[in-house]
Amino acid sequence: MAKALKINPRDNVAVVLADVRPGEEIVVTTEGETVRLAARQAIAFGHKIALAELHADQPIIKYGEEIGRAQTEIGAGDWIHLHNLTCRRGHEHPAQ
Amino acid sequence: MTTFEGYRRPQGLPGIRNGVAVIPSVFCANTVARRIAEHVAGAIAFCHPVGCSQVGLDLELTARGLKGLGRHPNFYGVVVVGLGCERFRARELAESIAAAGKPVEMLVIQEEGDTLRAIEKGITFAGRFVEEASRQRREKFPLSDFSLGLKCGGTDATSGLAANPALGWVTDRIVAAGGRAIFTEVTELIGAEQILAGRAKTPEAACEILTTIGNMEKRLSRATEGTDVQHRSALISPGNEEGGVTSVVEKALGGIYKAGTGPIQGVLGYGQVPEAPGLYLLDCVGHDGEAVTGLVASGCQAVVFTTGRGTPTGFPGVPVIKITGNGETYERMKFNLDFNAGGIVEGTPIAEVGAGLFGKVLRIASGEPARAELLGHDELFCITRI
Repeated sequence: MAKALKINPRDNVAVVLADVRPGEEIVVTTEGETVRLAARQAIAFGHKIALAELHADQPIIKYGEEIGRAQTEIGAGDWIHLHNLTCRRGHEHPAQ
Repeated sequence: MTTFEGYRRPQGLPGIRNGVAVIPSVFCANTVARRIAEHVAGAIAFCHPVGCSQVGLDLELTARGLKGLGRHPNFYGVVVVGLGCERFRARELAESIAAAGKPVEMLVIQEEGDTLRAIEKGITFAGRFVEEASRQRREKFPLSDFSLGLKCGGTDATSGLAANPALGWVTDRIVAAGGRAIFTEVTELIGAEQILAGRAKTPEAACEILTTIGNMEKRLSRATEGTDVQHRSALISPGNEEGGVTSVVEKALGGIYKAGTGPIQGVLGYGQVPEAPGLYLLDCVGHDGEAVTGLVASGCQAVVFTTGRGTPTGFPGVPVIKITGNGETYERMKFNLDFNAGGIVEGTPIAEVGAGLFGKVLRIASGEPARAELLGHDELFCITRI
């Protein structure tokens, strides 16, 4: 069992507070509520886990604000990072 | 009511320290300023590399920075030292400080004769100010008389997770009590300008925020033209990505979380002091020294500096309070750090850690030395240039 932190009540992702194995149970704490879910992949400390099912192009909310959009269908417990989150900003100039 | 203990000033906010500043108007006066301060316990020399042969905005920023420093409430009085031929005149600096109602004396090396005579005269001035300052006692002030600067540096994955949210909690309390809080590091806000504009108190403030961040982005683009760092994607580093930061917006949000959740009143120019309570954005780059000097020039009596990797730096006469969200960093650099917000990573509620930090900030405001003060760290005085 590992802990994850939901920073803002509006967030649909939480930050895992330890390196997590696939299938490991995650206890998500936020002010006033505790939610449990299973990690669907390995997730490293400080990385994000989806708290709910997210459809493609749906906003991904952290800190109570949109940090990007789902690039694919995302399930609750999925690791969220560069492979499934797109952000319009930062791509006006192609990298390299 | 939450209070802190400070020193009453003739105008404006109270000071939380009662030092005497010796400020050269030009770098040519640095040694004289330093030798004056070396002879007078309680005097601080603010040596810098500017004041000569500058023009336009570059010279104006120097003027605003040094005037803001001289008018800062943490200094009882100021001795201004000029050479005599500089572009930024000692008289202009002294008159600006006098207009704030503060004790100020000026000496100009070329008028005094040689530097020995200038140093002797400066020692007399600084010594008198230290004696006068020693007769002052701390008084209780409401939180509405507090102005806190917000800064981060040496960021790691815990900064946006623990240290900045804990500081954001404190910021919200200070603003709710009618105090002031100022965040800056505009170079780190690119990508979050729409979110920040959405938090603006007025449409004018929203416009100022968008213009300020847009101008900084153009400045960065110009500065990186012709090199392989011109891509905006350079704003997010491989280290950020390894740490779990996916987008520039996420990175910016992790930083601005220290500014709490309240409305942004507007944008302050470099050296501008807010005239009304609330949260403000200061137009300054993210470089630690330039940003903290900017926050000081805008009148912040103390700065809270969040750091993941740990940094020992300080600003003479202004407490720079170091907090980390990384428990390992705290254990490793304990003597340089004032507060461990790492409990949030272990599951302690943000409000509980925030309340602990709030208490620490008020104790330091009331006279407890920050670690950077205790150890004499003074690296952060750095006038910004264009």
